[in-house]
Amino acid sequence: MKECFMAIEDVLSSKGRVKILRILAEIGELNISDIARRAGLNYATTNQHLQALENAGLVQHKKFGRIRIFRFNEENVRARTVKKLIDFWNANK
Amino acid sequence: MYSSVFKDEGKLDINYIPPSLPHRERQLKLLNHFFRFAIERPGKMAQRVLITGKIGTGKTVISQSFGLNIVKEAQEKGINLQYVHVNCRECKGSLFQILQRAILKFYPRFPRRGFSAEELLQMLMQVLDARNAYLILAVDELEELIRSAGSDPVYSLTRVQESRPEAPQRLSLICILREPEHLNTLDPSTRSTLQRNIIHLEEYSTLQLRDILNDRIALAFRNGAVSEQTLNFVAESASSEGGDARYAIELLWRAGKYADASESLAVLPEHVRKAAVSIYPIVRRDAISSLSLHEKLFLLGVARSFKQTGSAYISMGEAEDAYAVVCEEHDEKRRGHTQLWKYITNLSALGIIKTEISGAGRRGKTTLISLPKITANDLEQELSNALYKKKR
Repeated sequence: MKECFMAIEDVLSSKGRVKILRILAEIGELNISDIARRAGLNYATTNQHLQALENAGLVQHKKFGRIRIFRFNEENVRARTVKKLIDFWNANK
Repeated sequence: MYSSVFKDEGKLDINYIPPSLPHRERQLKLLNHFFRFAIERPGKMAQRVLITGKIGTGKTVISQSFGLNIVKEAQEKGINLQYVHVNCRECKGSLFQILQRAILKFYPRFPRRGFSAEELLQMLMQVLDARNAYLILAVDELEELIRSAGSDPVYSLTRVQESRPEAPQRLSLICILREPEHLNTLDPSTRSTLQRNIIHLEEYSTLQLRDILNDRIALAFRNGAVSEQTLNFVAESASSEGGDARYAIELLWRAGKYADASESLAVLPEHVRKAAVSIYPIVRRDAISSLSLHEKLFLLGVARSFKQTGSAYISMGEAEDAYAVVCEEHDEKRRGHTQLWKYITNLSALGIIKTEISGAGRRGKTTLISLPKITANDLEQELSNALYKKKR
């Protein structure tokens, strides 16, 4: 899938997206239902956010049968930077 | 001040894997030989090995010890090989739970429900592909899986590679069971795939048990706490129990506990005798620890009920009431009648309790529960220990 540029304000202006990124930074790998449950969002919204984040190259998924497991896209510099930011944020509460 | 005879009693735990396995060197070597390919040519083949032998002959420990070593060796060579040991009894004979434990090794947060066992098996293969990993799955107490689900799950496990001929072979199996006769209920093709490589473990002799105990004593007891005479006595007792090393180690542990209780500096034959009386060959620590949380809570309720009433039988209703109190004490939501009924069936199949239908002399019909093999006091003690361990 070709990555499209997503302006930083578009990523960070959505509370849902930031929550999803934080959860993935904290836990590592998760499937959509689990992300939705932890973020307090519904499945469809979570799915849309994840698709947007994946299009922007920030997250990636692996498919096992019907299950999709998402995680940060470690190969993407922006993804790594966002993850670092969240880690730093959490470590300095 | 009194100090314990133990230096490290954890070394007598049934889950402890000792650094060396006396009198099983040959079998361990054979197991290594069967799986040599996993290190030398990973992905080129998959192996199925069968380990058989009576209780306490070292089936589980030999497999686990082999697993630890081969994973370490693979790591050094940069091969992602994992070993997962599952006990079918703990998995309630369900292929789904067996596969789930294997997948959780790679993805600890993999969704826990929503698919069939067949689907999960395909997922496991995809997970292994995604991680470029190889798996040796040890299926302990295989008879439980065969008993509850017939030959289909074993067939699926042994044949999953055949549906993907081009892909690397990633899943190997070690099947562990007590009686090879259980395999007769499998279909001929599954049986023949399994029976290609068999490692049979004979019962330990008194001298062999002595060597095993000697090793454990050095690890677990203070120097000089167990005399030669005590050691021989334990070895002989275990030998007459059918060469069961697990029994021998448990006997030794309990004898040590009795020695501690009487503030003795050494474990004496008298402590062993006391310990022998307190071990019930059928109600062992491992049988109790393999029960689910609510089975333990229910059994605890039953034990307490017997203690309070002092009678030989209690009714299902009394058991349920006692269980409700235990649940409250442990802050657990109580399970319904049907679930408790299933627990009773399981506990009675394990031989911990005995059930019969009430007859004349009692109004209506109820199930009467009795404890034929263990005193209520001992059972309560065991369960409290097991529950306490879990909480920690």
